[in-house]
Amino acid sequence: MSYTYYPGCSAKGTGRSYEESLRAVFGALGTGLDELEDWNCCGASGYPAVDAAKAVALSARNLALAEGARPGPGPVDVIAPCAGCYRALLKTERALADGGAVAARVGGALGAAGLRYEGRARARHPLDVLVNDIGLDRIAEAAVRPLGGLRVACYYGCLLVRPYATFDDRRAPTSMERLLEAAGAEPIDWPLRTRCCGGSCYCGGPLIGALPEATLRLSYRLLKDAKRRGADAIATVCPLCQFNLEAFQGQMARRFDEPVDLTVGFFTQLLGTALGLNERALGVHRMLRWQLPEPTGAEGGAHVRA
Amino acid sequence: MSGPDADRSQAALPAKVGVYVCHCGHNIAAKVDVERVAAFAASLPGVAVARDYKFMCSDPGQELIQRDIRDGLVNRVVVASCSPLMHGATFRRATEAGGISPFYSQMASIREHVSWVTADGGDATEKASTLIAGAVRRVAAHEQLDRRRAPVHPDVLVVGGGIGGIHAALTLADAGKHVYLVEREPCIGGQMAKFDKTFPTLDCAACILTPKMVQVGQHPNIDLLSFSEVEEVSGYVGSFKVKVRRKARYINEDACTGCNLCVENCTWDGILSEFDHGLGTRPVAYKPFPQAVPACPVIDRAGTSRCTFSCPAGIKAHGYVSLVRKGEYEKAFNLVLDATPLVGSLGRACYAQCETECTRASLEGPLPIRRLKRFIADAHYERGAAAAIEAAPPNGKQVAVVGSGPGGLTAAWQLARKGYRVKIFEAAPEPGGMLRLAIPGYRLPVSVVERDIENVTALGVEIATSTRVGNLEELRREGYDAILVATGAPVSTSLGVPGEDLDGVVSGLEFLEAAKLGEAAGLKGKRAVIVGGGNVAMDAARTARRIGAPEELSEPEEIMVTDAARTAWRLGAPEVIVVYRRGRGEMPAYPEEVDAAEQEGTRFSFQVAPVEVVGDGHGRATGLRCVRTELGAPDASGRRRPEPVPGSEFVIACEMVIAAIGLRPEAATLAAGLLTAANGTIQADPGTLQTDVPYVFAAGDVVSGALDIAHAVGRGQRAAFMIDRWLQGEQLDPASFDAKLPVVDQADVLAKQHPARGHLDPRAPAIRFAAAPADFAELEPPLTEAEARYGAERCLDCGGCSECGQCIAVCEADAIDLAMCDTEVELDVGAIIVATGFKPFDARRIPEYGYGRYPNVYTAPEVERLLNASGPTQGEIVLRGGEHPRTVGIIHCVGSRDARYNAYCSRVCCMYSLKLAHLIKERTGAEVYSFYIDMRTPGKGYEEFYGKVMKEGVHLIRGRVVEVSDEAEWPGAEGKLVLRAEDTLAGVVRQVPVDMVVLAVALEPQADAEHVGRLLNISCGSEGFFTERHPKLAPVSTFTDGVFLAGACQGPKDIPDTVAQAGAAAAEALVMIDRGSVELEPSTAFVDAAKCSGCRICLGLCPFGALSLDAEANVVVANEVLCKGCGVCVAACPSGALQQHLFTDEQILAELEGVLKDV
Repeated sequence: MSYTYYPGCSAKGTGRSYEESLRAVFGALGTGLDELEDWNCCGASGYPAVDAAKAVALSARNLALAEGARPGPGPVDVIAPCAGCYRALLKTERALADGGAVAARVGGALGAAGLRYEGRARARHPLDVLVNDIGLDRIAEAAVRPLGGLRVACYYGCLLVRPYATFDDRRAPTSMERLLEAAGAEPIDWPLRTRCCGGSCYCGGPLIGALPEATLRLSYRLLKDAKRRGADAIATVCPLCQFNLEAFQGQMARRFDEPVDLTVGFFTQLLGTALGLNERALGVHRMLRWQLPEPTGAEGGAHVRA
Repeated sequence: MSGPDADRSQAALPAKVGVYVCHCGHNIAAKVDVERVAAFAASLPGVAVARDYKFMCSDPGQELIQRDIRDGLVNRVVVASCSPLMHGATFRRATEAGGISPFYSQMASIREHVSWVTADGGDATEKASTLIAGAVRRVAAHEQLDRRRAPVHPDVLVVGGGIGGIHAALTLADAGKHVYLVEREPCIGGQMAKFDKTFPTLDCAACILTPKMVQVGQHPNIDLLSFSEVEEVSGYVGSFKVKVRRKARYINEDACTGCNLCVENCTWDGILSEFDHGLGTRPVAYKPFPQAVPACPVIDRAGTSRCTFSCPAGIKAHGYVSLVRKGEYEKAFNLVLDATPLVGSLGRACYAQCETECTRASLEGPLPIRRLKRFIADAHYERGAAAAIEAAPPNGKQVAVVGSGPGGLTAAWQLARKGYRVKIFEAAPEPGGMLRLAIPGYRLPVSVVERDIENVTALGVEIATSTRVGNLEELRREGYDAILVATGAPVSTSLGVPGEDLDGVVSGLEFLEAAKLGEAAGLKGKRAVIVGGGNVAMDAARTARRIGAPEELSEPEEIMVTDAARTAWRLGAPEVIVVYRRGRGEMPAYPEEVDAAEQEGTRFSFQVAPVEVVGDGHGRATGLRCVRTELGAPDASGRRRPEPVPGSEFVIACEMVIAAIGLRPEAATLAAGLLTAANGTIQADPGTLQTDVPYVFAAGDVVSGALDIAHAVGRGQRAAFMIDRWLQGEQLDPASFDAKLPVVDQADVLAKQHPARGHLDPRAPAIRFAAAPADFAELEPPLTEAEARYGAERCLDCGGCSECGQCIAVCEADAIDLAMCDTEVELDVGAIIVATGFKPFDARRIPEYGYGRYPNVYTAPEVERLLNASGPTQGEIVLRGGEHPRTVGIIHCVGSRDARYNAYCSRVCCMYSLKLAHLIKERTGAEVYSFYIDMRTPGKGYEEFYGKVMKEGVHLIRGRVVEVSDEAEWPGAEGKLVLRAEDTLAGVVRQVPVDMVVLAVALEPQADAEHVGRLLNISCGSEGFFTERHPKLAPVSTFTDGVFLAGACQGPKDIPDTVAQAGAAAAEALVMIDRGSVELEPSTAFVDAAKCSGCRICLGLCPFGALSLDAEANVVVANEVLCKGCGVCVAACPSGALQQHLFTDEQILAELEGVLKDV
């Protein structure tokens, strides 16, 4: 069993540990990831505001390539770990499914490159694949070093379940909690799990972006609240979320009253730990901080009984 | 009658059609060139007059028609205007006023079908002309028809007993009409009864409602059917037939005086109160609120509790547990005593099927139901008090009971209580059967058995011991009117191996008996081997333990095995081994008993079968030769068959071999005249327990084969009941004994529980075992009072009512009847008024508002209950922790004005939110913040109320709350709920921390509105409320004649509007009733008998049963009264024998010819 893998730019850059841990986890579970040949930017950045049709074409190229690599019939699942890429690809799918002028133009553009989009390619997020395809039973079985009751705050960010709630509830998603619980963690109940971190206002850092004070404060609120509810760590599904929440804790300490010092990792890194993979394979050495408490000895490998 | 036989004076004349084209102001004239159309009409053959006029429906317009008719210019009328639904009746009346049959008029719709739907004027004019051409040709083929009238039954049904239903019922009743008011809750009052104060006057809701409720209850013209639901409605306007199901309250409403003693004495008051929206609790016997009408309470029974249902002894297990929970130990004792005198014995030796079925068993563990029975027995016996059960005076009849085991003792007890003189004949030297002679003392002390038997002898029952009954006929001759054989199963199955006649080989029962009677030789130095585990007969009889099985088996010979083993230790045996031919998993003995035997030192040898008893040559046993077995394929009982392994024989050295294989009855000597089966059991009717000798009944193990004590007790009860019936000359009807409601489902019980009552600590004191015990002292420690109360408090009250009987005991009017069933009544009414009300929006559907997640988020209906003085907090506004809120936020439009849920405005929420704001502020002094979108206060006095509340300092923020959050972003928000909203007037985002949030939930249709609509043949709109005939001009009638609407079921509204609508609906019903009849459309089917071939295709098609076959003439007959003119039969009739008035083939074809004028 193997899936087409669309990394997105962050996975090759600052989010490299996301890709490393993702590959390690899927490998441990016996599922292959075939990186899409010659993939390009998904257009999750500001480009759609510049030229909507061109942005769709840019993004659609990836989908067409994916279809070409796995000739039909039948759907082609494309795993996109970055929530931004995931949402961008979903948006592209819907724009092309609508038919109409944009779809025609894009079809023509793809045709000029010798490509065709048939509507078979489907963007999937690895969280969805792990929970719904591979299944929690297998995860629980494979968790040889359960997370020992680690209190983790699961952060979904704004894009994973909005505007397209394809595999979980848009207001109160639970996939990550269920997954990490199967791995032995004790996820906290966090009403802020889909609250904005301000990241969209300042891709690249608060000092560069447009509203530094506001955006820093939004991230700070999330961290502070997670800590207040007893979280030991935060799990994320997107390189940008992870970056925003991890990288500016020093700034926050200087700016705001209560310093927050929390480990912010990718959910795949926590899952990988439970699967017994070593820290290097999971890219933990790249993190700015990584301090997890000693396991409390809580039972792992057992997820919520239906 | 109608049809071709009517007076055809007008029809005989050639048709002179008058065509009247209406402008309808601009509605038609702006699109259609009316003058041209009129000119066109004038040119048509047969048209005598063609006019156009601005408003044909007006007086002068109608006068045009009438004048032309009176002047003899026209004898057929075509009006080209709106639609028949609008003004069909108007123009028929005008036609009739002119002097000809109203059915000589026809409308052509050139508004709804032309001017309103056609874009181009030229097309519109053309189409209008075409339609008129059709109408002109058609009307020439019209017939005069008679008007049909249906009689109207003067009674009215009002469905729903809220303020709307109440007012409608009172209005009709005061007008002298008989009204049935059907309400599904136990009492009337609806939602209004739950309020504290009502806006805008702040009247107390109960104060203005209760006088009307009482009036309803007392009005001679109102039949109040509360706790009832409409099941089926058939018929049509003027003659509806309604089936109403009256649910069983288990209290006879006519006998009940409303004294409330049953409610006060009910032993369980922990049921979440529906009236209080789950904020408080109520007893099982309850009235929803103190002023309820009717004042008769309801006993809430979901079914029979699982423990009670499974008890083979017929004891109300849940009942005595509930009494123990309340500390009423003596009453609990008496409740058990009502079934059997063996309270102490059952409390120790019963195998407690009830505990297996207890719902708590699927959580932390069952309630210690058996040990609670022991607790109450010990409590009673220690006090030495006399039992509070009295016997009836002697009735002069005598009954002989043969056998003093649990079955015989229970039967004797029940018969003696009924006034019979009873004598028990017991062959053994001591009474008690297996209780006394088999069950070892460490499980059931003899003193307990004797004390239980004293209950029986205290009633004057004589027990003759050491007396074996040989001949039943002789007993009969001694003067006994009936005999009960309850001799049990005292004969042991032998080992069936060589050497079993050696000294030292004894049956299990003999061994236990000897031990109990003190006759057992000490076993010091004698090693004992016990051979256990059923014979073929027992194997075949095994069934799985499950509720509802007619026989509950407990494999007593397996108990005998462990009993024998543990007895052997106490008699001094140095070694005790149990040999069983199958494996540990197959041994059906109770795991606790096997465990106990092992703890005391017994060794179990599994998969070992006996082959021979080996002797010393002098007639004494020295060992048991055994063979190992392998488990093969399953046998008839489903367990794997043991197959001996050849060559695996070995000898176990021992001096005593105890065979505990099986027991069966010994009925040979008694059996003269009685049918017995091969295994010695007596044949008796399973329901009545009567044998084929009418005066002989048989019960217990002698009939069923060896079972258990609880089963015997149950059969003893049944036997006594049947014997009593027989002796009184009554029918022996098995169904009349021990009828029970169906058992409740465990999943349903668990689903209803409050999460706090989940897993609890089982906390039951365990038995301490010692190896090689030396005496027969009772092992199981008794429960302390605290342990007993704690155990009883874990009860989940599966069936609701525990059947403890306390309500029955205190009811002076003798009104309680737990055997009541639902009944059905059929009502004949002429009109139906639907006033079924609304339900509040479920705020859990909006997770952002935190309802159900944060404890201090309430809905407005819940706050009404908090405010109400008879509510769960006696009128105090308190948070869940008991403290008063200092800040309160009210969120408007929860579930309304919201495209995601309900788009409509719920109309009353702004006003009730202002009311709540005022009341909360008044009661607590809290700061109140109301978040609204618009403030809608349109009624009389409403705006003034709004102003008053504003002046009181309630903070009004115009902005929709986006989220209720417990995030503490700044210190002041810690521990509070923060409401975030954009204040659109100030242009800022506000974050307001409050202690308590109140959600102003919308009014929605009832959950079963669609179902009710189907019952009554009315429709629901897209939002789910019932559809009125016309939103402006006919808001209380529906498209189904005779069915009217009132109140919130038609759309959200406040109390004044509800009452107004209720009065209006009553008035419209009165119109019908006072007229005495309604006119029906004469568009009914009729049969041309000459053309009917009797093919019967039509008969099955009529949904109204209006067609029947005249078998003699072999033609179909149409019942014009039942026919609703749907036309299905007409379309289906292959010979055209069935035609429909106003839609005959001739008329339709004429219209087509007119329309196809250009073809």
